[in-house]
Amino acid sequence: MINLAQRDIAHSLGKFITTALGVGMLIGVVLIMLGVYRGLVHDAMIVPNDIAPNLWVVQKDTLGPFAENSRMHEDFKYSLKGFSGVKEVNPLTFQSIQIPQGVKPVRVFALGYDTRTSFQPYHLIKGRPIATPFNEIIVDSKTNFKLDDSISLGRNIYRVVGLTHKAVSFGGDPMIYLDLKEAQELQFLFSNAQIRNDRERQSASSATAMVNSFTLKLYPGINPAEVAKEIKRWKHLECFNAKEQEDILTKNVIERSAKQIGMFTVILLIVASVIISLIIYTMTIGKIKEIAILKLIGASNFTITKMIAQQSLLLGAIAFIGGNIFAQLTADKFPKTIILLTDDALKLMVVVIIVSILSSLSGIRTALRIDPASAIGG
Amino acid sequence: MQNISKTYGSGDSAVTAIKEASFEIYAGETVALLGPSGSGKTTLITMIGCITEPSGGKLHLNEKLIYDTKWQIKDTRRLRRENIGFIFQSHNLIPFLNVRENVTIVPQMNGVAIKDANKKAKELLDYLGVGEKLENMPSQLSGGQSQRVAIARSLSNNPKIILADEPTAALDGQRALSVMQLLKKLSAEQGVAIVVVTHDERMLPLFDRILRVEDGFVKEDKEIKEFS
Repeated sequence: MINLAQRDIAHSLGKFITTALGVGMLIGVVLIMLGVYRGLVHDAMIVPNDIAPNLWVVQKDTLGPFAENSRMHEDFKYSLKGFSGVKEVNPLTFQSIQIPQGVKPVRVFALGYDTRTSFQPYHLIKGRPIATPFNEIIVDSKTNFKLDDSISLGRNIYRVVGLTHKAVSFGGDPMIYLDLKEAQELQFLFSNAQIRNDRERQSASSATAMVNSFTLKLYPGINPAEVAKEIKRWKHLECFNAKEQEDILTKNVIERSAKQIGMFTVILLIVASVIISLIIYTMTIGKIKEIAILKLIGASNFTITKMIAQQSLLLGAIAFIGGNIFAQLTADKFPKTIILLTDDALKLMVVVIIVSILSSLSGIRTALRIDPASAIGG
Repeated sequence: MQNISKTYGSGDSAVTAIKEASFEIYAGETVALLGPSGSGKTTLITMIGCITEPSGGKLHLNEKLIYDTKWQIKDTRRLRRENIGFIFQSHNLIPFLNVRENVTIVPQMNGVAIKDANKKAKELLDYLGVGEKLENMPSQLSGGQSQRVAIARSLSNNPKIILADEPTAALDGQRALSVMQLLKKLSAEQGVAIVVVTHDERMLPLFDRILRVEDGFVKEDKEIKEFS
C-alpha cells in the first residue's frame, strides 16, 4: 500500500523540513532551559564539591557562608583542630568582587584559602598552585586573563600563576583563588582614609584576621554528627555536614532561580505543544480536498488516520533531532553553564511523542469529519 | 432507485432535495444528469454513489439491496472502492501522488498486489493515451491529460458504475468532446454504466438516456438532441 504520509511529505519536503526545524528550535530552547537548570545546580555545587569537607563551621545562627554572611575569628581554627577526630581545619573567605579587565570589569567570586593546607583549586589546567603567599593569584579561564598577567586588586598587584577551567560560583561567576591573608585584607581591611577616620573617632578599625567559614576534614570512621554536636556545644558555632550545605545551596540559594527556570520550561513546553497542534491541524486543513477525494474513492478512516499520525510523529521526530542539534551547537555559547543530559533529552523525547500523538488527534478529528461529498462539485 | 428521497433538516426548516426518484441504470449505459444549479443533481449523484444517505426509498446496486430506510451494508466506503468509479472536474487527482500512484491507489486499497495494480494502471493509461506520463506528478499534466488519468483511476477497480461530475467543465470544446467520446467508448467496451452530470447540451447526443432533475423531481427526457 502506498504510504500517503511519505508521499505528501516528499511532495512538499522543503516546507515540511522548515516547519519541523522551526518546531525543533523551540524544542531546542526547552532542552537549553533544562540545561540551564542543570547548570545552575552543577555550578552551585562546584565550590562545595571542590572543598569536599566533612563539616562546614560557620557563625552561629547563620546559613553561611553562601546563603548568609558569616564572620568568625580566624584563630578559632586552633580550638577546632583540638576537637577529637578533626584531621584538618581549613579557614576560608568568600567574596564577590569586580576586577578590571580591559574596559569592562569582570565580576568574580574570590576564595581565600590557606595555601599550606591540602586544598587545591578546582580543575587547575595551566600553571601551578599558589606557592608563596605573596601577590600570587589563580583565576578561571572565563575571566580571559592569561598566565603571568597582572591584576590590580585592593592594595596589591597580583600575578596570575594558574588557570582553572569552568570553576564558577553558585551564581555562575568565575572563581579566583588567593592566599588567605591577602583575601582577608581584601575583604576586611579598611581603606587608609577609613583607618585615619577611625583613629580620629578613637574607635578601633576592624581586625582583618577573620574568616567566613572553616571546613573540617575528619579522620576516617569519625561520625561528623558527633563532632558537629560537640562544636555547637562548646564553641557556639553553627555546623553543617556536606549534605546540609548542599541543601542550603539548592533549596535556599538557587531555589527561586530553579523554580523560575522550571516555570519557564513548562510554559515553553505548553507553547511548543500548542504550536505542534496548530501545525498538524493546519497541515490537515490544507489537505481537506485531498482527504475528501480519498474518502470518496473509498479510503478507510484507518488509512487517513495513519497518514496524519505518521506525519505528526515524523514532524515530532525531526523537530526533536533538530532541537537536540540546535541545543548542542548553542549550549557552549551561553555565558553560564548549560548541562545537556541524555536523560533529560530522552524524557523530552517521550513528551514530544505524546504531544505529537495528542496533536494529531485534532487533525484526525477534523479529517474524519470531512464530507466526501465535498469533493464533488469542483 | 425506488422512491428515493432526500430531505435536509427537519420541521419547518426541512428542505427536500430529491422527491421520490425512481429509475434504473443498466450496465453499458451512458446516462446524462441534467438540471439547473440547486436542482438536486449533486445530491442525487452522491446517493447513487453511496456517499449521502437517502431519507427514504430503496437503492440497489448490481441487484443487491444496499439501502432500505437505512444502509443495508456496514462499510459504504468499501462498497464504493470495489464497485464505483468517480470522475470529477479537473484538478481532482491527489496532488502528492504521481500518475501511477493515483491510478493504483484504489486497487491497492482493495488488496490487489502492487505489481498487478501497476500492470493494470499501465494498460489503462496506455489505452487512454497517457501511458508516457506514468511517473509524472498531476501538476505536470494538462487539463485533458489530468482528466484521462482520472478516468483511468475510475476504471482501475473494474467498477460496475462510473459517476462523473461535470468531467468536461474545465476543458475546451475539442478536449471535452474527446473525453466524452472516450467515456462512451469505455461504456460500450467494458459494460460499465456511466452517469454524467453535465451542463453541456452539445454532448447530449452521446448519451443513451437523459435524466432531468428539476426542483427535486427526476424525470426522463425521451428526446436526444442532435449533436451540433
